[in-house]
Amino acid sequence: MFGHDCLTDGFVIRTLTGYMPEHDCLPPDVTATELVTHLGRMSGLPATAARERAADSLRHVGLYEERYRQIGTYSTGMKQRVKLAQALVGDPRLLLLDEPTNGLDPAGRTAMLELIARIGSEFGISILVASHLLGEIEQICDQLVAIDAGRLLRSDSVRSMTQASSVLVVEVDEGLELLQAELASRGLTPLPYQRGLLVQLASDATYDAVRDAVADLGLPLSRMEQRRHRIEELFRADPAAQVGQTTGAASVS
Amino acid sequence: MSADASAATGRLAPSAPESGGVIHNIGYRRYDAARLGRAAIVRALIWHSFRAAFGIGRGAKAKVFPILLFVLMCLPAAVNAIGLALNPGSSPAVTYDSYTPQLRVVAMLIFVALEAPNMVSYDLRNHTLPLYFSRPISRLDYPVAKLVAFLLACLVMIEIPLVLLYLGIVTQVHGASQVWQQTLQLGPGLLYGAAWAVLLASIGLLLASTTGKRVFAICAIGIPLFFSYILANVLAHIGEQAFGPAGFGQPSALTSLAGLISPFTLLGGVLRWLEKPPAAGGLPVREVMQTTVGNYGPVYGAVFLILTVAAIVGLIVRYRKVGVA
Repeated sequence: MFGHDCLTDGFVIRTLTGYMPEHDCLPPDVTATELVTHLGRMSGLPATAARERAADSLRHVGLYEERYRQIGTYSTGMKQRVKLAQALVGDPRLLLLDEPTNGLDPAGRTAMLELIARIGSEFGISILVASHLLGEIEQICDQLVAIDAGRLLRSDSVRSMTQASSVLVVEVDEGLELLQAELASRGLTPLPYQRGLLVQLASDATYDAVRDAVADLGLPLSRMEQRRHRIEELFRADPAAQVGQTTGAASVS
Repeated sequence: MSADASAATGRLAPSAPESGGVIHNIGYRRYDAARLGRAAIVRALIWHSFRAAFGIGRGAKAKVFPILLFVLMCLPAAVNAIGLALNPGSSPAVTYDSYTPQLRVVAMLIFVALEAPNMVSYDLRNHTLPLYFSRPISRLDYPVAKLVAFLLACLVMIEIPLVLLYLGIVTQVHGASQVWQQTLQLGPGLLYGAAWAVLLASIGLLLASTTGKRVFAICAIGIPLFFSYILANVLAHIGEQAFGPAGFGQPSALTSLAGLISPFTLLGGVLRWLEKPPAAGGLPVREVMQTTVGNYGPVYGAVFLILTVAAIVGLIVRYRKVGVA
């Protein structure tokens, strides 16, 4: 790890790692500046550097004047940011984030995800995110390791997991049952799915068949596309996988 | 806020970072300078914890009691100095060894019961420990740093009043020989105070580290310390009343051993043991804590050592394995 031996050089490795725990870990009666400065010193920064970097990292996460207030007065979203700032203060090479968007409202969630993506791309810090919110991982991560109840499901790049599948989604504004019958009579096996139909994509002829069926019936076609895989399907494939804790670990490089 | 910041970044980062007066994008700055080693990190943790013992760096409420107690501890020294200044030639009312035993016991009991939880229970309650142990701090460094910090805090509480007392007396005596004699007396007083600090700090931290709840921790320290002190005194009195002094002016075994129960009387016993026999013509025999040791002086010394070492080892073992939440 970073060219150090994990077994013998734990000290060095820990100075180069930032950890953002999932649980609440902030004392209420200190200011964010004081806490982050102190933890910066604990990461091995000299006093002046710790102060500067604490101010910097709090600004990065979007805490400005609030950082002189006691943490007990913060909202959940601000606490989440302080947790990220304290992980960032020691200038780590690797960030470990455990459920970074816990307890955030949708706006805060988006902001946090944007920030994490930015830390990965602009700051050049490798990030390991542990999260059960697979949609978020799809949004920000490059690599994904899916672990379910201690069992490795799949380890691959997010792009390959969400590539186009051989299933066609067809949606019409009305006459869904008519279309289903028509498609069945043309030798396809349409399955109802949400507001549309799923059709197995055998060859390009399938597109023609669907087009003809819609045209013959005169239905308003609103959507026809190749369905993309979603990460959730990893866990859905095996019914046993539904049980137990589901954790996806993913990294932004 | 961070959405604004990152939006600003997206706009400004590629072209002109300084234009338009938007200063949100400060850019990420690397830290390339040397990092501190383990010793320096532990020193920083000691200093931080030491400040915390007096509520510095925490809210105003945290400062009230430590400062109040410190002033209380200094009061006898001040009164003594004023007394000496008003009646030149009179002998000091307060000695270095005992200081004012009752006041010191009560003040230190409250100080340890209130501040030891601030040192360790605080991190347990707020689940801050994972933040420390994910950094270059080992499971040995943390309890040792906390112990040293609290030891220093107890030393400040105990020794600074003694030094003030010394200064108050020295400014009133005449001649180098008298100053020298005062200095000779101050030495053992400081040592005795240091023994107090070591014992109280280690016991206090061990008890406080058992729970994250502040109130429980205060009780876990205060109740045993307070009641053992009461019990030790009661047993000593019973020993005197029921059995009377043993032969050759020796107190009964019960009276002699009662002092072992409480850390406060234990230290008084150690002092009694060590000052026997009194240095020839040197230090006057002083009335110290009510502890009577009889022939059992060495037992007091042994119990003091064992108790201190056990508390320190216990504290270190306690932090070998700590739950996260």
